[in-house]
Amino acid sequence: MEEGAGEAPGLGRSAASKDFRFYHTDLYDSEDRLQIFPEESTRMRREGVQTEMTHEPMRGGVKGKAQRDLGEEVDEFVHLYGLEDDHDLGDEFIEENTPRIEVSEYPSYMMMGSEQRDWRLTGEAAQGEDLGFMGWGSVGQCQDLREAYRYSHGRASEEYECYVIPEEEDEEEAADVFCVTCKTPIRASEKDQDEHKQHEVTPLSKALESAKDEIHKNMYKLEKQIIEMENFASHLEEVFITVEENFGRQEQNFESHYNEILETLSQKYEEKIQALGEKKKEKLEALYGQLVNCGENLDTCKELMETIEEMCHEEKVDFIKDAVAMADRLGKFLQTKTDVEISAQPDFEDQTLDFSDVEELMGSINTIPAPSAPVINPQAPNSATGSSVRVCWSLYSDDTVESYQLSYRPVQDGSPGKEQTEFTMTVKETYCSVTNLLPNTQYEFWVTAQNRAGLSPTSERAVYMTAPCPPIIKSKEIRSCEEAALISWESGNLNPVDSYTVELTQAETPGASGVTESVVGIPTCECLVQLQPRQNYTIYVRALNVGGPSARSEPATVHTTGSYFPLNEHTCHPWLTVSEDGLTVVRSERRAPAREPVPSDTQFTSLLSKTRCAAVMGNLIPVRGRHYWEVEVDECLDYTVGVAFEDVPRQEDLGANRLSWCMRHAFASSRHKYEFLHNKTTPDIRITVPPKKIGILLDYENAKLSFFNVDISQHLYTFSCQLHQFVHPCFSLEKPGCLKINNGISMPEHVTFY
Amino acid sequence: MRSLFTNRRRMALKQVSSSKCFGGLQKVFEHDSVELKCKMKFAVYLPPKAETGKCPVLYWLSGLTCTEQNFISKSGYHQAASEHGLVVVAPDTSPRGCNIKGEEDSWDFGTGAGFYVDATEDLWKTNYRMYSYVTKELPQLVSDNFPVDPQRMSVFGHSMGGHGALICALKNPGKYKSVSAFAPLCNPVLCRWGKKAFTGYLGTDQSKWEAYDATCLVKSYPGSQLDILIDQGKEDEFLSDGQLLPDNFIAACTEKKIPVVFRLQEGYDHSYYFIATFIADHIRHHAKYLNA
Repeated sequence: MEEGAGEAPGLGRSAASKDFRFYHTDLYDSEDRLQIFPEESTRMRREGVQTEMTHEPMRGGVKGKAQRDLGEEVDEFVHLYGLEDDHDLGDEFIEENTPRIEVSEYPSYMMMGSEQRDWRLTGEAAQGEDLGFMGWGSVGQCQDLREAYRYSHGRASEEYECYVIPEEEDEEEAADVFCVTCKTPIRASEKDQDEHKQHEVTPLSKALESAKDEIHKNMYKLEKQIIEMENFASHLEEVFITVEENFGRQEQNFESHYNEILETLSQKYEEKIQALGEKKKEKLEALYGQLVNCGENLDTCKELMETIEEMCHEEKVDFIKDAVAMADRLGKFLQTKTDVEISAQPDFEDQTLDFSDVEELMGSINTIPAPSAPVINPQAPNSATGSSVRVCWSLYSDDTVESYQLSYRPVQDGSPGKEQTEFTMTVKETYCSVTNLLPNTQYEFWVTAQNRAGLSPTSERAVYMTAPCPPIIKSKEIRSCEEAALISWESGNLNPVDSYTVELTQAETPGASGVTESVVGIPTCECLVQLQPRQNYTIYVRALNVGGPSARSEPATVHTTGSYFPLNEHTCHPWLTVSEDGLTVVRSERRAPAREPVPSDTQFTSLLSKTRCAAVMGNLIPVRGRHYWEVEVDECLDYTVGVAFEDVPRQEDLGANRLSWCMRHAFASSRHKYEFLHNKTTPDIRITVPPKKIGILLDYENAKLSFFNVDISQHLYTFSCQLHQFVHPCFSLEKPGCLKINNGISMPEHVTFY
Repeated sequence: MRSLFTNRRRMALKQVSSSKCFGGLQKVFEHDSVELKCKMKFAVYLPPKAETGKCPVLYWLSGLTCTEQNFISKSGYHQAASEHGLVVVAPDTSPRGCNIKGEEDSWDFGTGAGFYVDATEDLWKTNYRMYSYVTKELPQLVSDNFPVDPQRMSVFGHSMGGHGALICALKNPGKYKSVSAFAPLCNPVLCRWGKKAFTGYLGTDQSKWEAYDATCLVKSYPGSQLDILIDQGKEDEFLSDGQLLPDNFIAACTEKKIPVVFRLQEGYDHSYYFIATFIADHIRHHAKYLNA
């Protein structure tokens, strides 16, 4: 409070001293104050000054009144105005503005005045007006406008705060209520005095609160306005720069055009002058020649005359003789035509001067030049999708371009005879996303720029390529084990693509679903990805070309529990059928057809051999390590299960060569016979409990192949086999029946001992 | 019985030898057997794992004429036992030095040929109680003195010991986690060795013999899970001599659906060379059940 009190006079001494003094006058009617604070000396002093000051504007007003003889309204206005302005201002005001002033016009003056000023002041002026309204709405408009006027003269908003605060601080000691009508703090005891008896009174603190609220609101508005105006200023700056640039460019343009015209004109002048000179020379030469000729003729005539005269003086005989000869000569001479036509006209032939090109040049001075050919950019990496490309180009910076015409057509490889359709579009920017294109296709793009002056030449042609179609994962052919999965897919694109990317997400962690591992740069449609054991993965594949990656393929899921393999139908013996899930092999009761189709190289067959073994292989993932799977069998079924190299002879029994290792069961005369066959030999092993489910453990690291009776955890046999290459599970039925394969299962504990 | 047990527990084991082997210790002890009423030696292998915790026990029953020494010096079982953490106990094959008439007369009866029966004939019934010794006294002794888990025990053996292993397992369903045998006497009531021994120890009543005959025991086996592994040399002279008769046992097991894997090993005879060849398979077979 004390601070505020001290601030007010300080501000008063500063730049806005005039205003300061006057606003006290506004606030406190002198008679009131003297009554309210008779004992307060500072107030008294200040008041004294103010009382003095009031007279000067009054004088000014009187002067104005005297000079201009304005009406009563003006008088009142001047009175009010004078209260807040010092005598200089008042004089100035009266001298400059009084003639236009009417009370009704006063607001418009304010508006005009502020608008003519710097934008900053405009903002403040408006703010000041608001403040006046908000703070002192009950007071007449004139007062608001007076305040606004003050602010339009450059007062900072902080000063306005002082305007409010001192009125409360100064009354701190004594005043405790606020008279709304008089706008003055009073002591509660004074309420009963005559002056405030009928007035509305509020507690001083409440009045303070509301006044502060108003001020804060107004400050906020002011700040907003400052920001707005600053933005506007920076925008103006931009416009300024742009105008500067544009005009500079235009100046250059004009200069070059005028130079061009002057050059053309001087060239034309030279040409004309030269032509005139030549014409002149030609004519003079012709005339001279004619003159000479004419002289010669004259000489001849004279000579003839002389000769004839001499003849006339001669003897008759001689005369006659000579006369005959002379008559001949004369006749001859007279026969020759004397050329008296003037070969060259002395007058100047009218030559039209052709200034059409100059006119054209002059006409073009006011227009801009046609742009030069834009430069089309090469395709940016990863900027394309399967159906769109983003084409970019640029132009020489001093060209003015209104629009571009972008044209394209597909690049055709094969049939050059068939012209592909061209498409053209008009764009304003120096880029364009062209949509509705075919995937994995090359398109040729070119662009021309255009303005009022015309079209530019065509840019170079650039080839852009759309991204490929997403590949299609062969879900049924996915093979996996605990450490890896072999994913294969169809390209999904007719044309080759650059590479493929495999993305895998671990499905077990829903929280971290965004974590995606990628294998990039895969050249073929197959990828062996390393994985963590006993997890679920979702796998996607993308195809890539220069344009970018395709969308994701449909997802495939992989479970790295145990080893999972599908049966390879290409190897399936014709007597066998593989179920829809790819894991049950069936040999039906029907006898095999008499004539079998010729088997393919990969297919097991009984043709040309005595074997009754009908086999099929599984596609095990080519990963060294341990693989375990189980086969459900019927106790009385004749079957063979085991592993074989990929190139095992297809017409031989499994186990009848060095390329396969198998357990064979034969059931005959109620006796079970179990053989563990490799290269046609088997150990002599008897098994008392026929297994219903056979577990098979392939262990590359220890070069072992073990068989188990799963139900009773019984180990049946273990082959030691050198597996120099990858083997595949194989299954065979020697009699009608079926084998059910369980894979993708974890290894039972008892198996881990082998 | 209580006083007997207390008494037995007090009996000190006397260490005869101790040698480090595959990180563990091959020891031989001597003790006074209550069942056999004589000093008995047995071998025990303590794997490295026994230093830190209780291990399962695998009992090896030797064949005719053997002592505790044959197995531990010839079979080469130590590495597998060390790796699987099995305590392997190999007792002697009969009481010794009991001064029974005829005790030393033949190699296939009396000393070194206890046949793992509890004799009932007067002459032998005091000392020749090898069945009780290997199934009761010895396991108790071992569990009292060594870091073993008495709940996890298995048994295997060779020839007459193979017979012993099979009957121990078949007569005590659930007591042994697994059983295996090398060239066992599968049906002793029908072979000369068996007839001679059973007549001598059990008398002429052949119905009493069946209680110690594996093939006969299978027929009344209640069916507790038991995985039996049998290896048999194909060139075993006693096989062709009709002493071993595995086919009878296999047929009985097939009928009773008792799981047996019988491997007739081409070219092998009855010796410890044959045992040494397949000993690791057998140790693993037992480890699978003992360490499960």
